[in-house]
Amino acid sequence: MSPTDRWILDMDAGPIYVQIGARVKEQLARGDLAPGEKLPSARDLAALLSVNPNTVAHAYERLEADGVIETKRGLGTFIREDAPVAGTKKETLEAAAVRYVNEARRLGVSLDEAADAVKEAWNAGSS
Amino acid sequence: MLAHLEHVTKRYVKADGVLDLSLGFPAGEVVGVLGLNGSGKSTLLKLLAGLLQPTQGTVRVFGKAPRQARSQFVFLGEQDALWTWMTPRDAEKFMSGVYEDFDAARFNELLDVLDVPRRKTKAMSKGERGRLRLAMSLSRDVKLYLLDEPLAGIDLISREKILSSLVREWHTDETILLSTHEVAEAEGLFERVLLMKAGRIALDAQAEELRDEGKSVVDAFREVLS
Repeated sequence: MSPTDRWILDMDAGPIYVQIGARVKEQLARGDLAPGEKLPSARDLAALLSVNPNTVAHAYERLEADGVIETKRGLGTFIREDAPVAGTKKETLEAAAVRYVNEARRLGVSLDEAADAVKEAWNAGSS
Repeated sequence: MLAHLEHVTKRYVKADGVLDLSLGFPAGEVVGVLGLNGSGKSTLLKLLAGLLQPTQGTVRVFGKAPRQARSQFVFLGEQDALWTWMTPRDAEKFMSGVYEDFDAARFNELLDVLDVPRRKTKAMSKGERGRLRLAMSLSRDVKLYLLDEPLAGIDLISREKILSSLVREWHTDETILLSTHEVAEAEGLFERVLLMKAGRIALDAQAEELRDEGKSVVDAFREVLS
């Protein structure tokens, strides 16, 4: 995965600071980021994504308030050792479920049909 | 306010300029000035730079008439005005001679980051000249940068390099006004967007607030123009 792939932003999908927060949580949930690992500085990430550094700083403040990351003076920003990995996994899975359910509703299928499609896809081993 | 306009109208003989603009720009804001050709983007930036005089109204930059504040801001115009014989080294000598706040070390760093070849400008591509002109502009230490279409007519890679240099070089107490047609590429950089239409401000909004309503700046732009 290229560095920008992990951070894909969609300008139609809400505030950028919320999306950056979600991308960090997803990476933590999937194990692409581990507790204790260092994050790019707000300035570096802003340059990588061509977004305003204040926007990344805003995202980092929210993640810090959520207990996901911590800033160590002079050292940088890190995933907290006690970051809620299970919680971010649940959150990420639920967000994916909402996207799937929305699509199923647009298609007008029932819950049973939607659930069957999930089982089928799961058993087919599609990833 | 670092700069402001009060009821400013600029009329040209043959074309419309801007009509009754009242706007303020505080310190530390990155502003996208967006609109179609002829909407008044360039006129707004040139009024702030003192390159155009208002037909009516008042423009103040650092509390002064723009011409009195010339040493305190940078204006990067659309015109590709570099002497053909100039090399980046000549540009450095020229800028050092003219501007006390020009930082030669920063300029040389920017030449590397922006990948500007060390040859005469007549042997450069348009994108390379655009990157050189941006390096010259960003190497001055001022609090207000007026950048008129720095992304126009140059290649994608140059545009990406310019955007990422802007992100890196911007200090949070500096104000940047950047006009562009490349709304989708540049919108992440802007905190505030001004959408101009027929010489007026059709929308003056915080970009993140637009996105909170589910609209990208591009969407808002389309809405205003339709």
